[in-house]
Amino acid sequence: MMAAEPQISRRSASGWLVAIFAGIAMLALVVATFLGVVDLPPADVAAALAGHGSSEARSIILDIRLPRILTGILAGIHFAVAGLLLQTITRNPLADPSLMGISQGAMLAVSGFLVFTVYIHDPGSNTLQELPLNWLPVIGTIGGVLAGGFIYALAFRRDLGPLRITLCGIAVGAVLHAIGIGMIAGWGSARVEVLLEWFSGSLYARSWEHVVFLLPFTLAGLAILPLVRRPLELLRFEATVARSFGLAYPSQFSLALLISCCLAASAVGVVGPVVFVGLIVPHLARFIAGRRFDLVLPLTIALGAITMTLGDLTGRLLGQAEEIPIGVITAICGVPVLVALLRRTA
Amino acid sequence: MLSCSGLSVRYGRREALSDFGLSLARGEIRALIGPNGSGKSTALQALAGLIGPVAGSASIGDRPVASMSRREIARHLAFLPQQPVAPDEMTVEQLVRQGRFSHVGLFRSYGPRDEEAIRWALESTGLADFADRGLRELSGGERQRAWISAALAQEAKILLLDEPTSFLDIGYQIEVLDLVHRLSRNRGVGIVMAIHDLNQAMSICDRISLLEKGRVVFDGQARALAESGLIEKVFRVEGRFVQLSPETPPHFDVHLSRWRAIRS
Repeated sequence: MMAAEPQISRRSASGWLVAIFAGIAMLALVVATFLGVVDLPPADVAAALAGHGSSEARSIILDIRLPRILTGILAGIHFAVAGLLLQTITRNPLADPSLMGISQGAMLAVSGFLVFTVYIHDPGSNTLQELPLNWLPVIGTIGGVLAGGFIYALAFRRDLGPLRITLCGIAVGAVLHAIGIGMIAGWGSARVEVLLEWFSGSLYARSWEHVVFLLPFTLAGLAILPLVRRPLELLRFEATVARSFGLAYPSQFSLALLISCCLAASAVGVVGPVVFVGLIVPHLARFIAGRRFDLVLPLTIALGAITMTLGDLTGRLLGQAEEIPIGVITAICGVPVLVALLRRTA
Repeated sequence: MLSCSGLSVRYGRREALSDFGLSLARGEIRALIGPNGSGKSTALQALAGLIGPVAGSASIGDRPVASMSRREIARHLAFLPQQPVAPDEMTVEQLVRQGRFSHVGLFRSYGPRDEEAIRWALESTGLADFADRGLRELSGGERQRAWISAALAQEAKILLLDEPTSFLDIGYQIEVLDLVHRLSRNRGVGIVMAIHDLNQAMSICDRISLLEKGRVVFDGQARALAESGLIEKVFRVEGRFVQLSPETPPHFDVHLSRWRAIRS
């Protein structure tokens, strides 16, 4: 009975920690809504949110800033959770959607799609025409999921193991990346900047359509997470041990891979491969959670949202009209954070 | 409670285990001995349903292991592999808690029954004071006990141990063996244990199996094994069995070439 007390207090302390980070995520959302390139007074922002105010302010807040921020939050959650799942099942602390070939699959699909459609419309000419940009999320998602499926099939042919799937992912990713780059180089169109912007990972001009596209994936992913919460703890062990403890290893491994694949691919499809979010956020979450492994998942979700929101806000404010893509911000900020975390844990 | 017959396992073309048979009664301790690569680990893993045999089958009670889910198996049978590795930053208690997965499953929260099992597992292995320590902070012996503790938390009636005493100093080795004995006698746990130390194997076991190149060459009591002369042949050593006391099994005294001249 004596032992029960510290456990209860520990549990409530954990609850507080999650609440604090959920609060920070909300705060980031509010700050990102109120700050931007166009300097709107807070009163105008509040009025626009309430549905009043000038049509200009309403358009900036409701049609530009809010969908952009929400897209970022959802994509951030996707990348972070996908990274956590991949790092857990591969038992590789460096696993990340862009390491495992999922991002490259999405990139190849998108570049292939653009080259193909532009060529079909207007062969042999570089005249500007309407690019079918609305299709990019769908195409990117399909490409990412296909790449994930291909890697899975390659790894499954022998036995599904952490090392095998990592190596398959890296190899397939490298090949897909090379084909994608080759395709763009061969295309040589004046429209390459569309791809470059997308490749660097950007939230520029993301609209409600993107939020609506991502939301089902987010909801489905988060709804399944309770199902994999305990298996995730066991998947951190080698397969023999996990199976001895009673885990149906192959099916749980596959389920976790499927979830991470869908989350990562849909996010890459919408905002492009935002590097380092999937890699760093789980490490940050683990660092904050310490030994309380049950906190890692909620903290990863909160930190994924926070990182994307603040990263994009930084890019918007620093670059002003020529904003810096979120992918560049996360890469620049991500490296020192990773180095610091590795020094702490080593 | 656990039995198998005709169990054969192949790794690629190599037959690692041929026609392995065994039956384990409630509260019985069975030792598996044999040279390196003789198939002890393979036999244990096949018994635990972790590798599929090409022939034969293992059964828990009258149910074939192959027909049971991993969770069902884990409720009846706990298997501790050789030199298991735990994730970094895991504490003793968190490791032991994993042993309850087969009982709580994906959703059910840990009830008083589970907490009690975890507490008992920690106490039986003398780890109650270490519960919040990180596994990496522990000595080899303490870490091995933490793993045994996790297997105990499963509260399975069958326990398979793959060289649980290897890499432990003699004090911890004896602690593990005494724990095994207590479990079998007080709780009726049936135990199959691969073990390298011949004398420890003979003194702890109720029955002993000797494996050579994947085949069982002896299955019976320790005393009969001593009389069979198989030990010297299978392990390619010279020595003799000495009876240290009338109650205990004979003790194998191995001869080193250094002293051979003096003995003869």
